[in-house]
Amino acid sequence: MKFERNTLLALGLIALAFPLLVGNQYLLHIGIMVLLYAMLATSLNLIVGYVGEFSLGHTAFLGLGAYSAALLSLRLGLPAWATIPLAGVISALFGVLIGAITLRLRGPYFVIITLAFAEVLRLIANNWVDFTNGPMGLSGVAQPALLADASPLMAKRFYFYLALALTAVSLYLAYRFVYSNNGRAAVTVRENRFVAQSVGIRPFVYAMRAFVLGAFLAGLAGGFYAHYITFVGANVFGFAFMVSMIIMVLIGGKGTLIGPLLGALLVTLLTEYLRELQELRLSLFGLIVMAVVLFLPNGLMGFLNQRRERNHSDQADNGATGVQGGPA
Amino acid sequence: MDMLLQFIANGLVSGAFYALSALGLTLIFGLMRVVNFAHGELYMLGGVMGWLATTVLGLNFFAGLALTLAVMGACGWLVDRFLIERVRDQGEEPSILLTIGLSIFLTNTALLLVGTAPLTIEGPLPNKPVFLGPVVLTELRVFAVAACAVLILAAHLVIRHTRLGRAMRATFQDPMAARLAGINTARVYASTFALGTMLAASAGMLLGSIYSTHVSAGGLVSLKAFVVVILGGMGSFAGAIVGGLLLGLAEALWGGYISTGTVDIIGFIIVILTLIFKPYGLFSTQVERA
Repeated sequence: MKFERNTLLALGLIALAFPLLVGNQYLLHIGIMVLLYAMLATSLNLIVGYVGEFSLGHTAFLGLGAYSAALLSLRLGLPAWATIPLAGVISALFGVLIGAITLRLRGPYFVIITLAFAEVLRLIANNWVDFTNGPMGLSGVAQPALLADASPLMAKRFYFYLALALTAVSLYLAYRFVYSNNGRAAVTVRENRFVAQSVGIRPFVYAMRAFVLGAFLAGLAGGFYAHYITFVGANVFGFAFMVSMIIMVLIGGKGTLIGPLLGALLVTLLTEYLRELQELRLSLFGLIVMAVVLFLPNGLMGFLNQRRERNHSDQADNGATGVQGGPA
Repeated sequence: MDMLLQFIANGLVSGAFYALSALGLTLIFGLMRVVNFAHGELYMLGGVMGWLATTVLGLNFFAGLALTLAVMGACGWLVDRFLIERVRDQGEEPSILLTIGLSIFLTNTALLLVGTAPLTIEGPLPNKPVFLGPVVLTELRVFAVAACAVLILAAHLVIRHTRLGRAMRATFQDPMAARLAGINTARVYASTFALGTMLAASAGMLLGSIYSTHVSAGGLVSLKAFVVVILGGMGSFAGAIVGGLLLGLAEALWGGYISTGTVDIIGFIIVILTLIFKPYGLFSTQVERA
């Protein structure tokens, strides 16, 4: 707990200094994407890591957030400071609705029904031309008024700090959730549903809370995405985003707070690095997913935690043998 | 009224393919408890293999189908022995992730090697119209539906009347007891996966001869196969067939009377409704719910 908190604070400080040290728009853009994906991976991790169910439909909430922010901004002219939180709230409301249906199911059924919801939303976004502008998407989402006459570099810096603030909020909420009675109950349910029920934990209630929080955070990220990219199309519901999120959570280590951040950083950088090899890149991602499942089932953080625990227990053993007559 | 019959006929034709492709998925799930998210990609590979065999190697349709079945059966066997085997008995999640990874890999590798162009497989019959009362079909479609029926029947006979089929059913009932009785369950699992892969691949090749196939078709096929399997009941042979025909009909009628753009939505609505109201599916073989 302390280790996680301190690492998160240190990462936050590094991120705070990053735009001041870097004057390159491209690097800043990558930094912003890392933060966006960090938010998304954190929100998916709440479901995968703490509910213990695998959602393939998390893009539903990203897409709902992005479309809500874009529509609120374009149709009602609301400013970004209102649309982004509202995007999160709308997404969370849908989270209540979708969660109430999907969380009754487990295992493969949960995977498929969440995927079905995301696909239904994608098809609606693509076909309801009057409302969502169909396949043409919604373009020209307003940038914050503040940026009216800022230089492109300043605009990127502004977005970086906005993304950092949102990521910090996401992580704070996730941290508070995970280290509360809620989070501990959710972990109990994940580890052993029947034991949890026998001590009076109602699995559905805790799963629902994690699910709605995940939906809220994904909605925030979606709202940010809409304003940053200024274009929203049905691809926000697509499988490509889902694949990225899954890989980030898996590589980093599900059920840890730092894991998804690590995953977001690694995968975004790797994606940029392999940009010239478009399709090969996705093939590689497929191989990476398989390799992680086979060889690193708990992700990088799981691996590191194991190492750390082993070191601790080694030291404890050494300490115990050093003291004469100590308990064996 | 004429149109209604035509829609029903079209629905039954596509339903036959849904049934054939879902059959492999339901077999693999019912026996191995593996939810194969790469099923649609195996279907797609069947189409691509069929195209390679008939167009590039110049074989006729039936030789091409035989070659496709052999190659894809071997692929299925290898996938099971080298990937699924390693996460057996670890619950559902690792196998779900593993097959998702496999599907991403297969789609994009095929995209890299074959490209995005639609691939047309030369059918064994000309595309001549056949008039059955007010309904118009093509000879090729009638042939393809008949081929579907033959393949489904063949799979049924394999499961019911061969030594392998008996071993499969025994493993399905109780893997431990099957092992104690001297059945090599690892081989049964690999054979099941190979059989499921062959069913998917044959559906891919047959449908590729009617329409055309392309390498990114897999995702949607997987989803529709899941719709059929959930509707019919996971692991149920009859359920896959009835579910497939129902989905085909529902899509044809929706496309005919409501809107063609949103045809794919009906399947997902069916899944959501089935899982809410009848989570065992229509024909579940065992008392098991989602």
